[in-house]
Amino acid sequence: MAEQLLEQVRDAVEGQIDFEGQRLSELLTTVLLGAAGFFAFFIGFMAQDIKLTLYIGLAGTALTFLVAVPPWPFYNKNPEPWLSPHTRSGVSIDVDGQKVG
Amino acid sequence: MHSTLVRLQNVFGFFTTVAFSVAAVIALSTFIHPQSPSASVELKNVQVVRGRPHYYSYKKEEYAHIKFDLDTDLSSLFNWNTKQVFLYLKAVYPSKTPDEPASEAIIWDAILPGTSAPWHQNHYIHPTPKSSAKSKNSKKTKPEDAASPYPPGILKLSGQRPKYQITDITGRLQNRTDVQLELGWNVQPWVGALLWNNWEDFGMWKGLLGGRSDKFDFPSIKAGKTAAKEKLDVEKGKEGHRLEAGGKQPRRKGN
Repeated sequence: MAEQLLEQVRDAVEGQIDFEGQRLSELLTTVLLGAAGFFAFFIGFMAQDIKLTLYIGLAGTALTFLVAVPPWPFYNKNPEPWLSPHTRSGVSIDVDGQKVG
Repeated sequence: MHSTLVRLQNVFGFFTTVAFSVAAVIALSTFIHPQSPSASVELKNVQVVRGRPHYYSYKKEEYAHIKFDLDTDLSSLFNWNTKQVFLYLKAVYPSKTPDEPASEAIIWDAILPGTSAPWHQNHYIHPTPKSSAKSKNSKKTKPEDAASPYPPGILKLSGQRPKYQITDITGRLQNRTDVQLELGWNVQPWVGALLWNNWEDFGMWKGLLGGRSDKFDFPSIKAGKTAAKEKLDVEKGKEGHRLEAGGKQPRRKGN
């Protein structure tokens, strides 16, 4: 029971996502942060207000952290299908006298 | 990017890159704001007196009190990236030997805040012109509410007293010739490099127009006046007293 709970906590903290999710997360990071930087400068420059630049930049960064860091469900839509354990392959693997495959 | 920690590091790493790039672009954007500062500096009155550097001093030195008129339009120095402008007026007088450089001494300075700078006690508050001072109600206002009657960078001072009384390293200042008042400043941006005043045009930035007074001479100390004045005044401006207030008083040698 305790081990199961520990396993769940470990999974939540690690937050693993699949390969497509990793590609998407990387793309979102680049696009969101880049856009935040661009709009921060552009809007601040137009308004001639450097504090606006600061706040837009920080808000965009916070949004990026929120979007890209947690293991959202849409990062796990393409789970990698693992091969089933092949017991009938005819190859036998011995580890310390025990048959494992 | 497979785990939370790696994604955290990746996002933060790219954030530092973006922040640095935006800061660099902001710093460069200063150069596309055209500047055309102008100023007129005129001598109002100059007086040389003998005095002591502080109360317990036996040393007597000559001090120059220089009153001046200053009329500036430095509003083009204030762009979105300007935090504050340190403005100073210095007296420049050549040394007696030709191979030595001229002496420079600051007689007055002010910190002019930009529009987005938060209030600070050291910011310069322009004195209210006499004509509009009467129309204001006599109710005392908080120092936070005090604001310059002109937009940032506009100064209209007449008969301004110096903040600092200047003396020479030799202790003698009377009858020095070819003294000139010169305006200088240091623009301190939010992001980017500190910039001092330029006299020549540089791209979209025009050099300072005016900013130097006519040459004048320090007068000699009036003989009758010093003889009658037995007690020598301590020659110290407002700023000097403020620095001294909490500081140690120099002791007499006899004690």
